[in-house]
Amino acid sequence: MSRKTIKHINLTIVLIFLTCICLAVVYPLIYTISGALSPGKSIASMSIIPFADGITFEHFQYLFTQTPYLSWFKNTFIIAVSTSALTIIVASMGAYVFSRFRFPVKKQMMMAMLILQIFPSFVGMVAIYVILLRIGGLDTLWGLVLVYLAGNIPYNTWMVKSYMDTIPKSLDEAARIDGANHFRVFATIILPIAKPIITFLGITSFTAPWMDYIFPKMVLRSADKQTLAIGLYNFVTDKKNEFTNFSAGAILVAIPFVIFFIITQNMLVTSMGGSAVKE
Amino acid sequence: MSNSADVKQLAADGSKQKKVMLTAIIFMGLAHIIYLKQYVKGVFYALIEVIFLIFLPKTISKIAGLITLGSPQPDLPVKMRDNSMFMLIDGVMVLAVVAIFAVVYYLSVRDAVNEYKDYCISKMMKGNKSSFSALLGKSFPVMGLAPSVGLVVFFVMVPLVFSACVAFTNYSAPNNIPPNNTVDWVGADNFGILFGGDASWSSAFGRIATWTLTWALLATVTCYFGGLLMAVVLHENNFKIKPLFRTIFILPYAVPAVVSMLVWKNLLNGTFGPVNRTLMEIGLISNPIPWLSDGTMAKFVTVAINLWAGFPYFMLLSMGTMTAISSDVFEAARIDGANKLQVFRRITLPLVLYQTMPLIIMSFTHNVNNFGAIFFLTGGNPKVADSTLSGAGGTDILVTWIYKLTVDLMKYNFASVIAVLIFVVLAPFAIWNFSRTKSYREGEL
Repeated sequence: MSRKTIKHINLTIVLIFLTCICLAVVYPLIYTISGALSPGKSIASMSIIPFADGITFEHFQYLFTQTPYLSWFKNTFIIAVSTSALTIIVASMGAYVFSRFRFPVKKQMMMAMLILQIFPSFVGMVAIYVILLRIGGLDTLWGLVLVYLAGNIPYNTWMVKSYMDTIPKSLDEAARIDGANHFRVFATIILPIAKPIITFLGITSFTAPWMDYIFPKMVLRSADKQTLAIGLYNFVTDKKNEFTNFSAGAILVAIPFVIFFIITQNMLVTSMGGSAVKE
Repeated sequence: MSNSADVKQLAADGSKQKKVMLTAIIFMGLAHIIYLKQYVKGVFYALIEVIFLIFLPKTISKIAGLITLGSPQPDLPVKMRDNSMFMLIDGVMVLAVVAIFAVVYYLSVRDAVNEYKDYCISKMMKGNKSSFSALLGKSFPVMGLAPSVGLVVFFVMVPLVFSACVAFTNYSAPNNIPPNNTVDWVGADNFGILFGGDASWSSAFGRIATWTLTWALLATVTCYFGGLLMAVVLHENNFKIKPLFRTIFILPYAVPAVVSMLVWKNLLNGTFGPVNRTLMEIGLISNPIPWLSDGTMAKFVTVAINLWAGFPYFMLLSMGTMTAISSDVFEAARIDGANKLQVFRRITLPLVLYQTMPLIIMSFTHNVNNFGAIFFLTGGNPKVADSTLSGAGGTDILVTWIYKLTVDLMKYNFASVIAVLIFVVLAPFAIWNFSRTKSYREGEL
């Protein structure tokens, strides 16, 4: 056998292998899309071959007319946007102070932050419930935002602080000599340079609330304040199976995310590789 | 204590340092007013202490409440009885406020002493003006940090301390649920019950703890090497549709975990799931496979589905690291006559492993706490022998068990013991991981 044939055989094996993995990766996704477009309700009545039952848009119609899907979407969107915006403001201010100032108990505070960030915040859920009850934050969207925001701060302050440490201090010193106060230095010099990490922070804190289940379930009670994760989960409980409606709702959420990830995949590869090298 | 000479002319030879310090300790801000003539700052500090003193009786009663947790009052209507949980949380919050006050107090004393030292060196009283503008400048870090500290203290630390406290009480259904009944401190009893005191609870705990560690290890290792394998295959081979494959492979990462786990749960359903129906149609199996209802099978399935959802992250990570390796290294190896396999084994793999190691640790701690991967796929099921008592099924890990203990069984005391335990086990990992970061090693912390 010549070198070329061996190379060809190798490539064929690789391609077959990759195609198999592709099928496994894509199968549930295709089936979900097919579920969203199939008539009927339960997954039990669906054909095993995707799209074999015909195509209908009745589930989307059902979502928008018969269920509060739009209000779930609106609530989740409000929560995600506020969490993201507030996280950026609070975490970047904190990170700037940690990165640029020397003050007593700084070391202890940084250490406390890094220990706190390992805990999933629902470990303290009973206490959070009682605190929200006390300050009137139960069954409100801002109560939930507050919980997410607080949970985001320890890790993200660390992350942004590490990035700001790499920005030369001579830059802000020059501005200080020119008479700019700390806030101006922060807003007009540090923030623009730290844009990549701020963007990353904004995206991660925006995406997380979309699919959180525990806290909305605990904090939000009334029907008009539910979020997407809870609404979708209720389509496929042990008691009922409305896989088709679930799929329709799920792909409406997933599609923007997927498009976003596909567009930014090159940036993801470089930023992840970069972060690994830096740490 | 302060004679007129002191007020007029403070000795600048450092001899009054002890006196300044003592005055600062006696009342917050006093030294600033009497000796250093920094009235604005001094009044500000003094005001803090005055406010604190006004609320002192309330503080003491809240702390007393924390110690007693209320007494049973069966003859009162439910609304008027002592609510142990409110008392506990108020007590913890008041302790947090007292701690913050103590830190401010300490800082004010320190500041007074430092100002005095400055004065001794410069022989000049700063007075109000300069220290006022300095105060404004100094207030920026305080204002910048205040929101972070406030939120973290009251929504992260207080809940965690509260949880840790609950681990030492009998807060659980059916007999100790406020507001009907009170809760009492029980020392380390809960730890005793879970770690050997009660045979069925301890065995349930042992079973779940073992599975949690096994799960976290398997989930991390499979995802890591799965992702690495895909990255290598894509990196080492050149063909036209490579970007297409990469795009497809990141799809599981892009789809929110709740959605994909619930989809898998439906696909793998034993009776009507399409996976079983397809396999039976093709003729590969004659009876449905109990993917999620058989104890051992369900464990394998959770790891496998987690691999489906988790490998893209490590694939992206390894790809990023591989592209970040300088091409000089490869060139040098090729000139030395190394073949492709040797280059991979001796250069690419060690470099990638070394650089992604901290993230493997992070991924391990993440998997120990990976609520979504278990809860939405299996819900912790199938049921096992101890499920009726412990509420935990065959695939439950510690965090999903905490959730069930809290929401379903209302055994808050046991849930808190487990939370404390997870903390004790995971904290060293986090500290070790961060002790390797650049800013820590360079002593900038």
